[in-house]
Parts: sequence; structure tokens; C-alpha cells
Amino acid sequence: MAVFAVLLALAGPAGVARAAAPQPAHPAPAAAVPKVLRVGTEGVYPPFSYHDGNGNFTGYDVELIQQIGKRLGVQVQLVQTPFDSMFAALESGRIDLVANEISPTPERKAKYDLSAPYISTTGVVVVASGNKDITSLADIKGKRAGQSLTSNWSQVAKKAGATIVPIQDMDKAMTALAQNRVQVVVNDELAVRNYLNTTGNKQVKIVSTTSDKTDSVFAARKGSGYMPQINAQIAAMRSDGALQQLYDKYFGTKAQQQEKQAGNRSSWQIVRDNLWPMLLATLRTTIPLTAISFVLGLAIALLIALMRRSTIAIVSWLARAYISIIRGTPLLVQLFIVFYGLPQLGLKFSPFGAAILALSLNVGGYAAEVIRSAIAAVPQGQWEAAETIGMDYRTTLRRVVLPQAARIAVPPLGNTLVSLVKDTSLTSVILVADLFQKAQNAAAPTFEYMGLYTAAAAYYWVICFVLNALQGRLEKRLNRYVVR
Amino acid sequence: MTTPQSSPRTPLVEVTSMAKRFGDHEVIKDVSFEVGKGTVTVVIGPSGSGKTTLLRGLNALELPDSGAVRIGDVDVDFGQIHPGRGGRLAKPDRELVRRYRAQSGMVFQSHNLFPHRTALQNVTEGPIVVQHRPAAEADDQARKLLEKVGLTGHVDKYPYQLSGGQQQRVGIARALALEPELLLLDEPTSALDPELVGGVLAVIRALAQEGRTMVIVTHEIRFARQVADQVLFIDEGLVVERGTPEQVLEHPTKERTRTFLQRLLEA
Repeated sequence: MAVFAVLLALAGPAGVARAAAPQPAHPAPAAAVPKVLRVGTEGVYPPFSYHDGNGNFTGYDVELIQQIGKRLGVQVQLVQTPFDSMFAALESGRIDLVANEISPTPERKAKYDLSAPYISTTGVVVVASGNKDITSLADIKGKRAGQSLTSNWSQVAKKAGATIVPIQDMDKAMTALAQNRVQVVVNDELAVRNYLNTTGNKQVKIVSTTSDKTDSVFAARKGSGYMPQINAQIAAMRSDGALQQLYDKYFGTKAQQQEKQAGNRSSWQIVRDNLWPMLLATLRTTIPLTAISFVLGLAIALLIALMRRSTIAIVSWLARAYISIIRGTPLLVQLFIVFYGLPQLGLKFSPFGAAILALSLNVGGYAAEVIRSAIAAVPQGQWEAAETIGMDYRTTLRRVVLPQAARIAVPPLGNTLVSLVKDTSLTSVILVADLFQKAQNAAAPTFEYMGLYTAAAAYYWVICFVLNALQGRLEKRLNRYVVR
Repeated sequence: MTTPQSSPRTPLVEVTSMAKRFGDHEVIKDVSFEVGKGTVTVVIGPSGSGKTTLLRGLNALELPDSGAVRIGDVDVDFGQIHPGRGGRLAKPDRELVRRYRAQSGMVFQSHNLFPHRTALQNVTEGPIVVQHRPAAEADDQARKLLEKVGLTGHVDKYPYQLSGGQQQRVGIARALALEPELLLLDEPTSALDPELVGGVLAVIRALAQEGRTMVIVTHEIRFARQVADQVLFIDEGLVVERGTPEQVLEHPTKERTRTFLQRLLEA
């Protein structure tokens, strides 16, 4: 499988690296915080972790870990990670620490190294403004609650008897609440207040707080040995006032006022400010990702199509199995297997490398059948004519069969390519900074979903439109020798 | 004439006990004959008699199961050649079959021209890509061949722009471009409209007159009478009758030959 080897070689700047060895049960003696500390954070959870107008990470948790890093003399590298894959990223060694309002549940205590609490908050029960049925946590029994599955707030809601509707981001949950798709949202008081302040959303309201106070902590892999150093810095910041200062910056009334000012841009201004960063992400990530994956995917597809035609049973069977597996499983699951699963087998890729590997393999499976049927559609007489003038198998493919198969294959392959362009948006879940992730980052603190996602859709549409036009020209060229 | 002929009647082709089966069906049972250098052999017979398979065996498009064939200085004992898994031959066998195939050129019933190449490119494809001859030289030769088959002025047309008869004549030029010792034609006119047959036959007749060695499968009895030095009548995988056109077509000795010719005349 030469193609596979090429893929591996291309898969990332570091190529294939061995994953970190499994951690021993007993902590290694005082392993220090590494010189470069990779910190996983959502980047779409204001005011704890989000992006400012310039596209830089900011927020309470972000600034806190940055200050701790500075005090420890290590470089903090922030890695944007969706919350639902945060712990997968931690365990597969893609990040060293989570700074994302993690609460110290017993399960997490058992499984991870947790720091001392750096902020405490309570939960609030949020409902639509017109809702009079729910006035406290006790009333949510049997109601639909919009919660992120892996967050502890969903545990609180579940314990109170609500039916959990999985919604990943708090702000999407609020929208669902206003649209009455769920009746209640239980979430962090600070986050909700920040949401209400920045949006001025009058469609939802806080009706009650939960009784329990919740701490937030940093999490690392078991046996990391980071916590003594990190806890010492948290304690120092508490006693020298730095922690309070940070709190005031994000949660003091004055801060909220400023925040609101900043959030007062019109929808059009917000979209306009993000057009250029989104275009850059398109040019730097979405388009190269599409182009490389498509070319590699076609190479894989040709190989698989030829294997599928082989008269040797095992070769043909392998190709069939490959096609069946690729087409019979969701691309999203394939991305997760490559990015989060393979590191457990010692194969680790950069986000971009993993995206290319998964997308190429995916295109390979779909395009293989297209190419196979296109080859089969070339008449047997063409193979014989080539054979009789002395061509070998390879030359026949190259000079006679594939040029004719191309004409047949181009329209369906065009569909594959257009699908691929759109599928690249899925790679944001494996931390690829593509066009869609840029749109998400911009939408989270501004709540400008309609404008920003429409702008993203427009970019995708333009790419597909241009590709369609190019496909038309190519088809015309390939059809020049056919009766019109 | 492509090759000097010291003795015009030296057999160029010797077929000895060729046999071929597809599954349980024995298409060719035991066929032997010779083809003299510079002569034309016409193969006739009912459909399904094995005549096309015989012709394809001479070009190794089908590998005979047993028997031996010599064409020029290439001698192949097919009893010794066995395809392995996936129909592949061992390397020395592959090389032998390649040399054997290069001795003959094939003209197909349905011409099988490459639709994505012009008439000229169809003819130069083999010389340039397979024989690695210089492009300019192959080009010159191809133009001469296309002129010879009456297609001057059509060299840059794609096959779809040509009539069936013109396509078939490009097919003949393509086979000749590789300068084979032997030209094989498999029912070259039977896929053509009647008014286009004449042009193709005229080209073949001209080739016969310049001393091309040819084996032609055809139903054109009148044409066979004109050009053939030897006629083979084949039925059920066996040579039923073999001789000059006069012997086989005018005075057949076997009942089966007579019935076949009668049916052909009535058609």
C-alpha cells in the first residue's frame, strides 16, 4: 500500500510520532510542568474562554492559565477543542491541561489530576421569559433541558428529573430555549449573566439558583505531577490579589458594561469584521485541505478500483471490504477514529494531517466505485485493440482506458469533490482551524449566528460554484471526440 | 512489398493441432494448416464454428490450450504455456507471447479504434508508444499508410467524424503501421453498410496484390474467390475442407461445405 505510506508521510509536520506511554498508576516523582504547556479550551464559552475581535483567545480561564504559565516560566499554547472531545484530547495526549470551567466530580477525581479550585459559582435555572411553570430546580422534573452531555450541569438537570436534550454550546441552548425547543437550561450563573449582558436577550430569564456551589479546576492526565506547582500559583494569586483582579475584570458590573459596549457593533459590522479572517481560513485551510485530500483520494480510489477488478479473489475482496467500510460509516466517526483513536495505537497526527488522512480515505472509498464503473464502461474491444498493438497493462490503462474512463467519471467525481468541500467543515471537531471554526469563534461571543453562518455558507457556495464551472469546461474538453 | 522473398511459397505460418476450449465447450478441436509467405488465406464457416477464435489464437488474444504455432521465426508450443493465478503468465512466457503477437497485426470486425485519438494518432500510437520510434518518422509513415487506404485529408479527424468504411480503413492502417509479417482480418466488412463494403475490400485487394501475407475471416465469397490463394472451411472446431478457391468454393467434396455455401448463396 504505497499510497498509504505516502499519506502517513504527509500526515503532519511531525509525521508519525509515538504517543506518550501510558501513565503509571503512581505519580512519577515531581514531573515538572513542561516548557510548552498545551492547554485545551473551548474558545466559544464566554466569558471563560472565547475569541476577541482580533481572533485571539481570551476569557477568565484563558487569562488565568496564561498568568500562571508566566509565573511558572513556561509557554502556554492554547488548543481550541470542542468541549465534548476535551477529555479525549487530554487522554490521547493532544493537550496537557484543560482550562475550561471543569468541575471536580468524583468520576473526574478518580480519573484525572485536578487542581485546587480557582473560582466558585452556582448554577442557575433559565427559562423562556413567558414561562410561569418553572420557578425553581424542583419544577424541571419531566421537562426538556438543553444541556451539553459531558458538562456537570447536565448531571444536575438529570438528577432533578429533566429529560436531557444534547446541545453542545450554552448559547445554542439559549436559542433553543427562546424557540421553545427546550423548556429549561441549567448552566453556570456567571456564564448566563454574561450571556444576558452581552446580548441583551429579553426572551429568556433566570428564575432561580441551584443550591450547590460548584468549583472550577484545571485537569491533567493522572500522574502528571503538575498540580503542586499550579496549586502554589493559584494560592499566590489569591493572596496577592491577582485572582480578584481577574474576577473583577470579567464579572464586575463595570466589566460587563465595557463588554456590552464592545458587543454593540451592528450585525453587519460584526460580519464585515470577520469576512477577512474567514477568507484567510478558506485560503489557508479549507481549500488546501480539499485539494490535497481530493488528489490523494483519487490515487487511493484508482488503486482500490483496480484491486476491485483483480481476478485474484483476496485482492478483490480487500477492495470490496474497504469500500464497504468507508461508505458504511459516518465521516464524523472516521475523523474521530483517526484523530482520537489512532493515537491509542501509537499513531499520532497533527489536526491537519489527520483531516487529510481521513478525508482522503473517505474520498478513496466513494470515488473507487465511480472509477471502477467508468473503467468497466470502456468497451472490451479497446483493451483488445491496445493488446494487439503490443501495449502492456499499464500502458493500456494510461493511454487508452483511463482517458476514456475519465470522460465517464468526471460528472460523478465532480459531485464527490463538491461534497468534499462541504465535508471539510466537519474537521473543526478535530481542531482544524478551518473556515467554519472561524465562523463559530466569531459567533460565540457576539451571538451573531445568522450573519456569520450565512457568510460561511456563502464562502462554501462560491467555492462550489467555481468548481462547477471548471467541471463544465473539463467535460466539454473531454467530450470533444464524442458525437454531439 | 515489405520483405524480400527468395521463395514465395515458403510457409510463413505453421499451425499444428491447435485446440481451445471455453469451459466445457471445445471451440477449436484440432486445427492444422500452413500459410505461404505472400499468400492470402480465407477462412469461412458458419457462426460459432471457431473461425474467429482461430484468428484470435494467431494474435494471442486467446491463448490456445494446446498445439503449436510458428509465425516467421517465432515458434510457440501452447501446451507448455499455462497462465497462473489471475490469468498472468510467467515472465519468460510473457516475453515469448509478446514476440509472437508482434508477428501479426489484427483488424477487428468493429474496428475498435481509439475514439479519443485522431486517425493519425490511432496509427502512430503503436509505433511511438510500443516500438519507441521517433515521432516524426512514425508520423510520416502513418500519413503514407492513410494515403494508401484512401484517407488523405481525413488524418486529423476523430473516429466519430468518419464513416464506418473509413474507420475500418484506419483500422487496417493501424495494423500495418507496426510492420507485421502477417495481417489478420476478422470479418472486416460485416459490420458495414453495404455501400461501404467495396472501399474496404478494394484496400484489402490492393494489399494482396503487393504480396501481403493475410488470413481473412469473411462471408464475402465472391471476394474470397478473387483474392484467396487458399480457403479453409471450418465447422465445429475442425478444418472440414482446405484447398484453392476453386477446390473448396467451386467443387467442394464434403456435404457440410456444400450446405454452407448453398445457404450463403440463398441469403
